[in-house]
Amino acid sequence: MKYLKTTIIACIIAVSVGCNKWIDVVPDNVASLEYAFRMRSTAERYMAGCYSYIPNFGSMYYNPGLYGADEFWLSSDKATWTNWNIARGQQSVSSPLINYWTGGSGGTDLWEAISECNIFLEHIGIVPDMDNYEKRQWAAEVKFLKAYYHFLLLRSYGPIPIMRENIPISASGEEVRVFRRPVDEVFEYIVELITEAEEDLPLQLMNENSEYGRITLPIALGYKAKILTYAASPLFNGNSTYANFANHDGTVLFNIEYSEEKWKQAVDALEQAIMVAHLQGYQLYEFPLNQQTQNIPDSLHLGLTNRGTVTDQWNREIIWGHNSSTTQLQTWIQPKALSEEQRVYSTPNGSTGVPLKIASLFYTENGVPIDEDRTWDYNNRYGLKVAEFEDRYYIKQGETTVAFNFDREPRFYGSLGFDRGIWYGQGNFNQEEPYWLRLMIGEFGGKQQAGWHSVTGYYAKKLVHYTNSNSANSTYNAVNYPWVILRLGDLYLLYAEALNELNGPTAEVYDYLDRIRSKAGLLGVLDAWQGFSRIPDKPQTKEGLREIIQRERAIDMAFEGERFWDLRRWRTAPDELNQPITGWDVDQNNTIGFYRERVLFDQQFRVKDYFWPIQQQDLIVNKNLVQNPGW
Amino acid sequence: MKSKLCRLFLFFSDQIPKARCTGIKVSCLFFSFLLLNCGFSPVLLANVATTADIDQNVKGIVKDKDGKPLEGATVTIKGTSVGTQTDRYGEFTFPNLEKGSVLVVTYTGYLAQEIKLADQTKIEIILQEDPAALEEVVVVAFGQQKRTDMVGSVTQVKPENLRIPSSNLTTALAGQAAGIIAYQRSGEPGMDNADFFIRGVTSFGTGKVDPLILIDGVEVGVTEMARLRPDDIESFTIMKDATSTALYGARGANGVIYVTTKQGKEGPASISFRSEASYSAPTRNVELADPITYMNLYNDALQSRSPLERPYFTREYIDATEEGNYPILFPQVDWREELFKTHTINHRHNLNIRGGGKVARYYVAGSYAQDNGLLKVDPVNNFNNNIDLKSYTLRANVNVDVTKSTELIVRLNGIFDDYNGPIEGGKSLFEKVVRSSPVEFLPTYPKDADHEYVQHIMFGRPGDAERSFINPYADMVSGYRDYTRSVMMAQMELKQDLGFITPGLRFRSMFNTNRTSRFEIRRSYNPFYYGITSSDRRTGDYTLEVFNESSGTEYLDYNVPGGDGVRVQNSIFYMESAIDYSRVFNDKHSVSGLLVNIIRSSIDAHATNLQVSLPSRNVGVSGRGTYSYDSRYYAEFNFGYNGSERFHESHRFGFFPSFGLAWSVSNEKFWEPWKEKIHNFRVRGTYGLVGNDQIGSATDRFFYISEVDMSSGGRSYTFGQQSRRTLSGINVRRYANPGITWETAYKKNLAVELGLFNKVEIQADFFSEIRKNILMNRADIPTTMGLTADVSANVGEVSGQGMDMSVDFSHSFNNQMWLQARGNFTYATNKYRVYEEPTYDKEWWKSRIGQPLNQPRGYLAERLFIDDDEVQNSPFQDFTGQPNIAGDIKYKDNNNAGSINSLDEVPIGFPTVPQIIYGVGFSFGWKALDLSAFFQGSAYSSFFVDPVAVQPFVDGKQILQAFADDHFSLNNPDVYALWPRLSINNHNNNVVRSTWWLHNGDFLRLKQAEIGFSLPENMRRRLHAKTARFYVSGTNLFNLSHFKLWDSEMGGDGLGYPLQRVFNLGINVTF
Repeated sequence: MKYLKTTIIACIIAVSVGCNKWIDVVPDNVASLEYAFRMRSTAERYMAGCYSYIPNFGSMYYNPGLYGADEFWLSSDKATWTNWNIARGQQSVSSPLINYWTGGSGGTDLWEAISECNIFLEHIGIVPDMDNYEKRQWAAEVKFLKAYYHFLLLRSYGPIPIMRENIPISASGEEVRVFRRPVDEVFEYIVELITEAEEDLPLQLMNENSEYGRITLPIALGYKAKILTYAASPLFNGNSTYANFANHDGTVLFNIEYSEEKWKQAVDALEQAIMVAHLQGYQLYEFPLNQQTQNIPDSLHLGLTNRGTVTDQWNREIIWGHNSSTTQLQTWIQPKALSEEQRVYSTPNGSTGVPLKIASLFYTENGVPIDEDRTWDYNNRYGLKVAEFEDRYYIKQGETTVAFNFDREPRFYGSLGFDRGIWYGQGNFNQEEPYWLRLMIGEFGGKQQAGWHSVTGYYAKKLVHYTNSNSANSTYNAVNYPWVILRLGDLYLLYAEALNELNGPTAEVYDYLDRIRSKAGLLGVLDAWQGFSRIPDKPQTKEGLREIIQRERAIDMAFEGERFWDLRRWRTAPDELNQPITGWDVDQNNTIGFYRERVLFDQQFRVKDYFWPIQQQDLIVNKNLVQNPGW
Repeated sequence: MKSKLCRLFLFFSDQIPKARCTGIKVSCLFFSFLLLNCGFSPVLLANVATTADIDQNVKGIVKDKDGKPLEGATVTIKGTSVGTQTDRYGEFTFPNLEKGSVLVVTYTGYLAQEIKLADQTKIEIILQEDPAALEEVVVVAFGQQKRTDMVGSVTQVKPENLRIPSSNLTTALAGQAAGIIAYQRSGEPGMDNADFFIRGVTSFGTGKVDPLILIDGVEVGVTEMARLRPDDIESFTIMKDATSTALYGARGANGVIYVTTKQGKEGPASISFRSEASYSAPTRNVELADPITYMNLYNDALQSRSPLERPYFTREYIDATEEGNYPILFPQVDWREELFKTHTINHRHNLNIRGGGKVARYYVAGSYAQDNGLLKVDPVNNFNNNIDLKSYTLRANVNVDVTKSTELIVRLNGIFDDYNGPIEGGKSLFEKVVRSSPVEFLPTYPKDADHEYVQHIMFGRPGDAERSFINPYADMVSGYRDYTRSVMMAQMELKQDLGFITPGLRFRSMFNTNRTSRFEIRRSYNPFYYGITSSDRRTGDYTLEVFNESSGTEYLDYNVPGGDGVRVQNSIFYMESAIDYSRVFNDKHSVSGLLVNIIRSSIDAHATNLQVSLPSRNVGVSGRGTYSYDSRYYAEFNFGYNGSERFHESHRFGFFPSFGLAWSVSNEKFWEPWKEKIHNFRVRGTYGLVGNDQIGSATDRFFYISEVDMSSGGRSYTFGQQSRRTLSGINVRRYANPGITWETAYKKNLAVELGLFNKVEIQADFFSEIRKNILMNRADIPTTMGLTADVSANVGEVSGQGMDMSVDFSHSFNNQMWLQARGNFTYATNKYRVYEEPTYDKEWWKSRIGQPLNQPRGYLAERLFIDDDEVQNSPFQDFTGQPNIAGDIKYKDNNNAGSINSLDEVPIGFPTVPQIIYGVGFSFGWKALDLSAFFQGSAYSSFFVDPVAVQPFVDGKQILQAFADDHFSLNNPDVYALWPRLSINNHNNNVVRSTWWLHNGDFLRLKQAEIGFSLPENMRRRLHAKTARFYVSGTNLFNLSHFKLWDSEMGGDGLGYPLQRVFNLGINVTF
């Protein structure tokens, strides 16, 4: 008994002694931020994280450039598409669409992106198992990305705060409440950062197969030139609309003085970028014929060149591409059915229509605007016409369609699909019996229900890779081409534009413009206007040539997400985006009814639409921020 | 098989009352019970019992000094352990007694009495109250106290009040105890746990806000409590204030529910059996419009916003549907009828055996419950996709007196759930009823000539429609899932009386381990979907075609999902050791003390990352000291000193003291004159601190270190051409903050107890609380900082206050009639004291400070727009989407800014968690009959009807009858119509949170009613039963509320699995 008692007392003492170690459960090597920079392989992944914020431009939901302006139009049941809602004037302060400032509604969080780049730049130096040159190269890539993200914000919001370095989390409230900086200062910082990166960037990638998409010198030079062209453009150069736009402390955010020097800088940068690109072998794209397409006529070949510029992956014109998925986009663009069999079981839904005004932009076969061509019956453009033998590669022979669709430039037929129009490819490579569209009610391509067809009667064929096939029931095999962010043709057009702004019409301007036109199978600009235009001298004035360059850009870069930004940059948006969106009356089952122009939407562009609103909540949190004018 | 089992049972039921019960016999009996419980019915039991024979008896009755019969008194023959218990009428019978034997009669709270038998065959025994044990004993943290000595605020619920016809104990809580706020949102078996909070919610964020649940001293989850059978419960205690919970410093801040299970009693085996069968049906179904109305309104909705559109359903189509000549071509589908039965039958069986000898005592119980769902099963499948939840529990509590002063207790408890049910759960299927088109296709198509050889079910669903149709019937019957959940709890407790050191000193130590395991297997096939591709409306001919020939399968495939909560493997170790001391000096000074040490460690096998995989641990020392003088003045001090692994070393331990005082006024001399009328008058008050370490979400631990996802898919980027190379990035998911520590509650409680006429007991508690150090995200960090994770800190503060009270009345009439009534009321409110948010200079209404937690916020809906002109002339309503037209909701511009945007949102309505919960009930008995009813209500709460979930036509949704009857249209331009202008697409303006969708959540319901009949003595004799009672009961019998679309207790989840109305038939027999 006594023994028992002793044991019990001993037990009491033993169990009552608490042990602090007991609750110290965290082992030493729990991953923290420092672990990301302990090895080359983790640092590389951190760098991938910096890349990951490049907006997913190849997705219909994330690229405001695609559905946000007037190039594409959807049926009313797509009212949830955030970027389309921008086009419909639904941008809002409470929940901004494509919100790059805080992330959300189709926008990536670009401030987070910049912060990640800063973390990378702060830490890359400490990675032990890397060569110095490699560290410098990676740092240069991330510097470029940091500049690029600042630019994307600038493009959307105008003046923005500059985040040169990260502010520590422990910083006081006042330190974190940053101010917006004047536009010129932001441009200067971005350009400076890219210039700094240039010296360490490679001319080309050693291993394209595993590295394609990484930043190279041609990308940096090309994009810097594009940024400088933005800086020189009317929106940012001598724009007095925002004369009173200032921070609470009085800092004026827009410089209202026009500066020719800005165009000079753009010209120099473009010249250098094009030179380096040429040295690296970049050249304008031409569709390479293969065993399936070897017998196609020139007309189809030109169309495929137009389509392939974007959809032929890794072609020699593409300077910078983004490996995001474009298959989903293509299913929203490709018509539901190219044949009777595809009418029922078909994955593509072709909800993306192209408004008539965009179709009107394309030149006639003579390379001049439809309202200027002396040989093209502009007044009778809505009349009907039967396709002849010589039209057979563009329009199904013997079928009737609107005169508007006849005798247009090859890019019209390459970029657009329309009722009775030939649709080459998509599994049918017989140039004599290709697919052709039938879009009237009751026909296989006609409207069946509210969505799933083009509301305008035009399809953006350009973005559909010509080999995509609608093979089996509910299966759509699409080529997942990378989205083009920068291509040589873009630089040519910018160069022509900048040169014209700086020096007026010169041989060099015509030269670069004509390279684009010749790729499209058109006459040179001077010859075309002399030969066919009602205003033959148009290319000889700075203003006339400016108009021509802008139109050339709109046609050549149609559906590439550029028009949205160009119209703002040129300040032509109030003219261009204040017109009704129209299309053919696709609710009709006969030719006469079908080819009546129908208004789908009265588009409005207000001054405030130049820039995104900053979300209300952000202004409440940071009282130093001012809202964009008009919001 | 069945007859053999009967004989087996007969053998045992015959033997046990006579034989000395040994552990072996008990376990044999239990084994037989387990074998029997599937096919066993009460009728069988009755047959068995009538065959037993009866000998010469000694009859007796046991009463108290007032002549009231005592039920459950133990009568044994001295020197043996042969004995029996008194029945409901205090009567007992002893067969075959020798003359001169001595009967010992014991009853808790009374002095034992011995009677030597002479010639009499009828004896009457009157027991005297034991002054020491007279007082009701209340379970408190780590011990027990006398009811009259209580300083803290503790409510004890009678286990029988928790007995409702449900296999889920949590559904019985609402209104049963002062201080509990509870409500039930779903009636789906296995998913029907009620939400409950003690004195409301006083914390916000993602941390733990519900109470700590302890069963026999061990922390368990809600489901473990849900599976407890009221028959096994000895006491059910709710600890509410600081004094009663401070000892659980680490986790007691949200209150404690403490349940103890029954223990063995010295005496012959007492076998109690209960069996119930219930009929269960939804309390209310959501009414949907008929298919013809649906089509007409669909066309209206389409044309209201696109006037040029052609009607989607043509006139001919609608007419043909209405004619109903070709139901395959023009279907009208009632999806609810296709998917669900109107009712189901469930049953529950309980068996427990209790007894013991001098050295060892036992309580063994087993239970079985089967809950079925309302889902239909397709005869083509040979599996069951309906919900079938079988839950088994097994409990064995054994107390062994190792020495005179040493007691060893072993408790074993197993809870086993076997679930079979639909892949996606019942809630989702109920919701899908509303989301399925009633007219465009049939759930299944009959085989036609073209598909003669098809072996599978031909489910309907058009494949090419732009509206994404669903076929919930296919979703329901195309597979099933099983899950198995088991919880094993093994506990050993050692109690040692240390009276040899100093009188009143005791020591005890308890070890416990809980092992939980849950896994799930899903088996399903991919349905083949068919649609009509061409048809002839005149002849009714049609062609069916399969849409997904390549992806459909005829064979079952399986998968073993592993998500959070789907796969659980968890092990918890817990140990506590305590020394306590209690003694009375000079009859007046009563002193007690307690010191307890606890260690707890829990580890989860299914961790999603390293930090979550580490064990959770707590250590702590807690103590209590009490002093009372002359049963008049009381003082109590408690503390908890606890450490949690979640915090940085410097903040790891928290000290949570509390103290309380009480004064029994009615025990004072001067009270004598009123003692007759007011037998008890007592006031008490407490103040103290309690902690909570379960802050933040469960996956967010170790705030003092950062958490980095070293392989983040969201940060990945793809490089390369043909063989693309995707690198996953690195992402900071939490920034380190070593300063984060305990959430602490500062609680005050003031209470008055009043006892009137020896019949009425009133208890009212007034409480207030300030909760500090609530973890919340910092709100003043601009997005330009670019942080990838929120930064959190212990900055939030909430205050809460309220009162809870209970009234109990009991009265016995002379002629075997008795009446009990009880009522309780809980009111708990709270508000933010400190909440980090941006400074709202102009829009002061955006601030949360001063507002209740769970306060709904939204726009003020004024009415609907009268016409399009009014839309143009009203402030612009900035919700992206289509432009507004007549009949859309018009909101108030609170800041007169000329536009409606997020700045115009204001707090609206009551909080979503009810502020008032109350219950009123009575029980009445007359001879063999008893009757009881219990009403439960809830008030001061609001809920949103989710307009997105109910909006007609969007994503193929149906239209609720109520909306079909009352919506704005050009024919019915009612600006206060129930539903605004119809639309076939989501119209953002109408679905933002606003007063339009906010509803009053108040209700009062007849929660429970029961009529029972106890068999009279002569019949019980024949059964060999001590008691036998049959009863009929029901739950959720009727409901009064403002809200009419569905059962308002379900709040915003009204489209889910409905709450159930249950009619129940039961029998309870004790041998």
